[in-house]
Amino acid sequence: MVKSEKELTGKIALVTGGTKGIGKAIADSLSEAGAHVTVTARNPPGAGNFKHHFIQTDLTVPSETDKVVRKISEKFGRIDILVNNMGGSASPAGGFTALTDEHWENDLQLNLQSSVRIDRAVLPQMVEQKSGVIIHISSLTGVLPVYQSLGAYAVAKAAMINYSKSLSKEFTPKGIRVAAVSPGMVKTETMEAYLQSLSDTSGLSVEDVTKNLMDALGGIPMGRMALPEEIAELVRFLVSPKASYITGVNYIIDGGANPSL
Amino acid sequence: MNKSEKELAGKVALVTGGTKGIGKAIADKLAAEGATVIVTARKPSEEKSGHHFIAADLTVSGDIYRLTQTIIQEYGTPDILINNVGGTSSPAGGFQMLSEEDWSRDIELNLMASIRLDKAIVPKMIDKKSGSVIHISSLNGKIPLYQSNFSYGVMKSALNAYSKTLANEVAKHGIRVNTVSPGMVRTTAMETFLQSYAQSIGKTVEEAAQQIMDGLGGVPLKRLAEPEEIASLVVFLVSEGAGYITGSNILVDGGTFPAV
Repeated sequence: MVKSEKELTGKIALVTGGTKGIGKAIADSLSEAGAHVTVTARNPPGAGNFKHHFIQTDLTVPSETDKVVRKISEKFGRIDILVNNMGGSASPAGGFTALTDEHWENDLQLNLQSSVRIDRAVLPQMVEQKSGVIIHISSLTGVLPVYQSLGAYAVAKAAMINYSKSLSKEFTPKGIRVAAVSPGMVKTETMEAYLQSLSDTSGLSVEDVTKNLMDALGGIPMGRMALPEEIAELVRFLVSPKASYITGVNYIIDGGANPSL
Repeated sequence: MNKSEKELAGKVALVTGGTKGIGKAIADKLAAEGATVIVTARKPSEEKSGHHFIAADLTVSGDIYRLTQTIIQEYGTPDILINNVGGTSSPAGGFQMLSEEDWSRDIELNLMASIRLDKAIVPKMIDKKSGSVIHISSLNGKIPLYQSNFSYGVMKSALNAYSKTLANEVAKHGIRVNTVSPGMVRTTAMETFLQSYAQSIGKTVEEAAQQIMDGLGGVPLKRLAEPEEIASLVVFLVSEGAGYITGSNILVDGGTFPAV
């Protein structure tokens, strides 16, 4: 192998929600490994060094999914890597009774159904290729729910883990690896805005709400949040040929927070 | 304690989907232990059950409100809530067979129905500082089967997470919340499901059942459960003897789940 060849050279990748935070770190990492990366997001990337293909879209709208996959197909003719990174929650804190049907619907649509749709649109291509890798970015809360502020989000992320496993059992025999990655707390703009909103509604300082959230998880042995790049490193490994026997897993990357085996 | 006193004497229980199968077995066993049992379903059963029946469609919010109000007016806040309603009519054959409607229906029936009913009743249990909630889930929440009921497994996994989250939240108010995950159970609903699955794969019902058991990794007890075998665990979980059990997901699966 030529020394300058990178492990994802020539691979076509799609990263949803790829203009900031974890998604951007993943896009950058895959690109560094030689992949041609397309990212989607509702808003264009901010000013600065953005080197990926960009498709502006809202993937919670069912009809948008086919449009995105068609554009990629037209431009590249194939798709090798799909990272379902988009997700999040605008649901309020305050426990179970604070959540309306609309909060539940929004969290399920954003964190589960949008993956279902884009996977459905991309899989026929991968099946025809007899190869591909699909990653679902879930969350530690999928196995360690935080009822105070993330009840519906946690449930949707748990559903995503089961869904990822089921998909892997169905499609791995056809040459497609499927895996979930569950980060704990990650230092991103979205996390910072979320902590700020918890602070605003509770009257506690951002430091205190951060500590409370870490305590609600049982404490983080590493004593800090992850950097987006640290999540991206794992994803880059998982989509590479080095991970050729890895499928149907949910890898938790949480600085040690999850207390059980 | 008076020997003739039954375990659940004086308790009021609501069992959803309580006119047949697992729900009926639970309702009957709760009543046998002395509870006053209200069952709800979209239609009453053909034979008289001995339980108070209230018709309701738990995918309709107005029905949940009416159901809850009726029960509270007549009996007060229930002590025991058994969220048994669930199921799927989504097609077999894997991921690509599932339409948007299939996903929506499975979300509504297997997750949202429980969430809405809990939302109507659990706050009242909190006021009383006591109550026991059970969510009837499925082994597919932990061992999903893509061939036969892909979206059902996903939503049962969601139900498991939701039940755990709720348990953590309301424990401090004296309310216990647990999940029960049956493997395959011998009910008419299972029979219907196996018939439709068998048809979709072009095999007999026996072959279809065997295929599902194989897909789960085999059932050590080599048979389906009887509904009563699920009900007996539920009755235990809502009784005082289970007073330290909350936030648990207990499998009743004939040994199927393979891991420690």
